[in-house]
Amino acid sequence: MGTPGVPTIELVGLTKKYVTHRGTFRRTRVENVALGGIDLAIEPGELFGLLGPNGAGKTTATKILTTLLLPDAGVARVLGLNVVTQTDAVRRRIGFVFGGERGLYWRLSGLDNLRYFADLYRISPDVSKKRIAELLLRLGLSDRQHDKVEVYSRGMKQRLHLARGLLNDPEVLFLDEPTIGLDPVGARELRVLVRELADAGKTIFLTTHYMFEADAICDRIAVIKKGAIVAQGTPSSIKKVVEHQGVVEFEVVGLTADRLAALRGLEGVGSVAVVEQELAQVVTVNCSHPADVMTQLGVILEGMTMLKVSSREPTLEDAYVQLIGEAS
Amino acid sequence: MKSLVRAAYRSFYVSLRLRVVSTWAYLNWLLFPTIFTAVGLFVLSRPGASATHLTYGVLGGGLIGYWGIAYIDGGNAIQDERWNGTLEQIFAVPTPLWVILLGKIVGSLLFGILAFVPTVAFAYLGFHAVLPNLDAASFAISMGVLTFTFLVIALTLTPLFALWRWAFSMLNGFELGVYVLCGFMFPVTVLAPWAQGVGDLLAPTWATRALYASTTSEGPHDFALWWIVAIALSLVYLVSAYFLYALVERRARVSGELALA
Repeated sequence: MGTPGVPTIELVGLTKKYVTHRGTFRRTRVENVALGGIDLAIEPGELFGLLGPNGAGKTTATKILTTLLLPDAGVARVLGLNVVTQTDAVRRRIGFVFGGERGLYWRLSGLDNLRYFADLYRISPDVSKKRIAELLLRLGLSDRQHDKVEVYSRGMKQRLHLARGLLNDPEVLFLDEPTIGLDPVGARELRVLVRELADAGKTIFLTTHYMFEADAICDRIAVIKKGAIVAQGTPSSIKKVVEHQGVVEFEVVGLTADRLAALRGLEGVGSVAVVEQELAQVVTVNCSHPADVMTQLGVILEGMTMLKVSSREPTLEDAYVQLIGEAS
Repeated sequence: MKSLVRAAYRSFYVSLRLRVVSTWAYLNWLLFPTIFTAVGLFVLSRPGASATHLTYGVLGGGLIGYWGIAYIDGGNAIQDERWNGTLEQIFAVPTPLWVILLGKIVGSLLFGILAFVPTVAFAYLGFHAVLPNLDAASFAISMGVLTFTFLVIALTLTPLFALWRWAFSMLNGFELGVYVLCGFMFPVTVLAPWAQGVGDLLAPTWATRALYASTTSEGPHDFALWWIVAIALSLVYLVSAYFLYALVERRARVSGELALA
């Protein structure tokens, strides 16, 4: 399980740019910075969450750590091994699961998928037979192991992905948005499984943009925005970003731009997020004095139909929204 | 070593499993080679045509089918892996990519050689075309050498399709070029001298020459020389493949072209 005192996963100044071209005849070279020199250290047995919006650099970091991509600069180590120069040794000791339904042979059975990857991971037949049976049982796929993957539900496919990622009994498991597209029950089951794996001693690197997921299961998290780490710590320490703030939420019909501007102009109001919901708008206001904002709401929204109004404590999501907002 | 052999075998097995449930694989095996044979025999079996020319009709469709499946299916299999999202999965395992591809290509070769079943049957039943002067031993060795050349070319070129998306667009062009330059359906002597020179650089040209020579009593019959040239050229391809694998593997890890997005 790694060397004592040495981080299981270590990123130092990790940089990655993608080069694309624009235009047909007059082509111009465009460089997109996916990672702008990030530093991270993840300890043995930690369940670490990397949070960020789409395109923030989460998947790029995961792919570098799983040897699928090369960084342009910086160092990435897993279990003390350099992912660029010690690729084969890294591959033997890690597992990875990418979110979504792809990445499996749909026209083969779940069992055949696992047998194939067990051989590609060069696991001896005796060990793989036993381990596949254990994984199928643990992930609730034993009864359907002979069915083709194409008839599996999305949740079953994701559990099969996880089984594949665990075939070589990895010391480090990388999960890139593993609950994406899953129904709430399936997602919760998967989170429980991931937490159990971490409790059993595996180091887990999880990327997600579901804040409640990170809050529920991660020991530590980092927030990434445009290739830069903007905060890291335990979920409770990240929440301290909005410690002295509260959240006012209300639902209203026909909110106009001038009234929204007035709301944003109130003293102590940080961010205001509006989500259209059929005919109504659901408005979330992060502010330092929720009671004052609620009093002012009556004035600003005078004559409008207010369907619902409430005040609550800030969550990790509120802290995330503030962090991402500040970083942009 | 044992684990690598097991990985290659599993890759071969999965490749066959995926083929037997694919309609496209059956079209490639049964229908397309038979059409090539029919066209070839109609053209080559005109009154007065020599027995040698008729041989090209009997074997040409099978050869085209064999090469098409071995080569095109190899490229397509990789493209399918990309579409399925499994290309990244097989890339990031401790088994070298060439071992996995070797298993897949051997699966393609096995399916490809079956193309001779419908084509030869069609030639015999439809045109009563047979190979009266067949030297079975030379024919078998030539077919073995030809199979080796196909294996090596597919093994050398498939990583290009695996790791560079743009390479896939060259797939059909190279397939057709080999039909013509290696003399699958007609003797290379009908080609311009410069085209024959290019064809001579392709290992299947020499194996195909030996294969057709083994079906006729007309000389020359320099089998040993042709087999050695075919194998030697294949070994040159293998050496270049060694460097090519390292290059394209690194290139794919720089550009991230293994995934669709």
